[in-house]
Amino acid sequence: MKHSQRIGVAVRDEIRAFIQDTFLYMRPDLELQDDDNLMGLGVIDSLGFVELVEEVQSRYAIAIDDIEITEENLGSVSAIVRFIGAKRRS
Amino acid sequence: MARVLRHRGPDGFGLGLGQGAGFVSTRLAIFDIPGGWQPIQTSPGGSLIVYNGEVYNHPELRAELRDDGIDCRTLTDTEVVLRLLDRDGLGALERLNGQFAFAWWQPAARRLTLVRDRFGVRPLHYALAADGTIVFASEAKGLFASGEVAAEPDLLGIDEVFTLWAPRAPRTAFRGVHQLRPGSVLIWEQGRIVAERTWWRPEYGARHETAAELAQLMQDSVRLRMRADVPVGTYLSGGLDSSLITALACEASGHQLRTFSVAFRDPQYDERGHQERVAAALCTDHHVVEIGPGDIAQAFRDVVWHAETPIIRTAPVPMYLLARATREHGITVVATGEGADELYWGYDLFKEVALRQAALEDPSALERLDELYPYFAGSSARRGPGWRRFFLEAGPADDPLFSHQTRIAATAAVKAFYRTEVAAQLLTDDPLDRLRAELPEAFGSWSALERAAYLELRTLLEPCLLAAQADRVAMAHGVEGRYPFLDHRVFEQSVRVPASGKLDGLREKVVLRELAARVLPADIATRTKQPYRAPEVAPFYEDGAPEWVEERLSATALQATGIFDEQRVAGLVRRCRAGRATSVREGMALVGVLSTQVWHEQFCGPSSDTYPVETGIPEIRLDAEVDQATRRGR
Repeated sequence: MKHSQRIGVAVRDEIRAFIQDTFLYMRPDLELQDDDNLMGLGVIDSLGFVELVEEVQSRYAIAIDDIEITEENLGSVSAIVRFIGAKRRS
Repeated sequence: MARVLRHRGPDGFGLGLGQGAGFVSTRLAIFDIPGGWQPIQTSPGGSLIVYNGEVYNHPELRAELRDDGIDCRTLTDTEVVLRLLDRDGLGALERLNGQFAFAWWQPAARRLTLVRDRFGVRPLHYALAADGTIVFASEAKGLFASGEVAAEPDLLGIDEVFTLWAPRAPRTAFRGVHQLRPGSVLIWEQGRIVAERTWWRPEYGARHETAAELAQLMQDSVRLRMRADVPVGTYLSGGLDSSLITALACEASGHQLRTFSVAFRDPQYDERGHQERVAAALCTDHHVVEIGPGDIAQAFRDVVWHAETPIIRTAPVPMYLLARATREHGITVVATGEGADELYWGYDLFKEVALRQAALEDPSALERLDELYPYFAGSSARRGPGWRRFFLEAGPADDPLFSHQTRIAATAAVKAFYRTEVAAQLLTDDPLDRLRAELPEAFGSWSALERAAYLELRTLLEPCLLAAQADRVAMAHGVEGRYPFLDHRVFEQSVRVPASGKLDGLREKVVLRELAARVLPADIATRTKQPYRAPEVAPFYEDGAPEWVEERLSATALQATGIFDEQRVAGLVRRCRAGRATSVREGMALVGVLSTQVWHEQFCGPSSDTYPVETGIPEIRLDAEVDQATRRGR
């Protein structure tokens, strides 16, 4: 496994842990997959998005512009991991 | 019954017993200390009243009765109300300026009439037994003490708490226990309810009229509410409304006014600097109750006992502790600023409605939403699109409840903790559908902000702020709150003020600020509203938190109550313990679940009859002969 892949796995685990701890404890019946749509499944609503953005910004020390806050970038665990990777490279 | 309501009237008890009817009154003596015992009757066997509250214009009404050849035996407002009712029937209600809930008994017709004031300041609960017997009391616990009614949870009432913050009259959190609606009467005759009707309701839509002079009206409203045979103080939050009331009370009082404030050890909730500034400027005798998280945890169960409903905020607890301190300082009547935010559009909710309305034409208006609700959605300085989307997606613009959609959406987070079977049971009975069905006919013709104001009066002020956060926690210590902004003349004035006199851009309560500028320091008159809040999670999870918190939130206790899911609540508890439950929604969820668990144990659980331990023996101060056939005796 390449270094960048290892980092990606670590980020994925952290994001999953955050989502599990913050939102999923209210959905004990749901087993979340990395590509599941977080808003579509009702795991996160728009206020939850505010918390998610805050977490990503502070944990990974990246600045997120308003125009970057989209479901494409932050709509699933996989999307968030890709987005963080891209922001770190930029 | 008297014993469990003793806190409301610690000065003594009155009892009237007759054939098939009985009345009991617990008295908080404010007018005619030696002569004002209740029940009051016009004559032996005549009509009778038991009464809670104040009619402030009673001296003027008494003089009018005297001119009409009707003399009162006492100096109480209670007797004035009874004599007016006997003379004019229910038409007399329109003449009453005040806050009251009472029962009027006409023995000849065996007719009982229950009445509640315009805004629902004073509570009145009732229930019908299977044989048609009606029992009524200021608080539900009085009904349970009668032996005629059992305390059982009403899921629909509980669901209203987690929808609109409180059960809405006539519903309560108890099955079969009703509240009289504000501004309404109920007539019971010979074993059945024969009529229930509204005698006053808030009406909006009057525009382009000359508004009565606000300063004169407020001075008069405060002057009337300083009437008492005991000293009257004020609550001073440090905000515009209570500061204005305090300034006007100082003008109306011949003595140094006593003021009482809540201060918080946690600076994010604390307003003591503003309170001290006003108290110093007005030269009041000022008292401060400092609240730490431990104080909230310690008093929480007592507050739930008095509120008689699950609650979703801890905000009533400091008010309970403030009332206790007020009583300890010998003050039993306080004027406060309640009502100003509903009448003059002070809450952020009104700004939100204005911005969401504007955004229907120009989406850029939504950007200013970032300025609202500073305590909401964590500590983020910049909320971004998620925050705005929350407001945009809260519901359709043509919904009559448009103004309250976001509050409802945020509060509904608590419902995610329901047990699956409870959520399924509630699916078919939506409290919002019930509310929509009860809106007045003219509602649709009012402006968006007027509709918001109406909903604030009916879903927040009366069922929540005036109940759990005002009447119940003050009367828990025998302290009466008075509300000059809730003089019906002030309400009618507020309706006539043009919209820009209430909300101009994002500047709230414009006409009140103009009045305040004449009597208060400039920085207080121009101060932006700070919402009154109290810590929600910390009190129950800091060092030294009481053991009952863990017990009440245990899987065993949650299963026994049968409302909330133990697995989901365990997740919330884990986050609270770790200090990660920082959002407003999680705070509401914790307080909602915990208060439900406490409430159920106190009222509906197997040991409910042991709480609280009340050992006082009522001292009967007066017997009234309820009907001609009554045997009188002590």
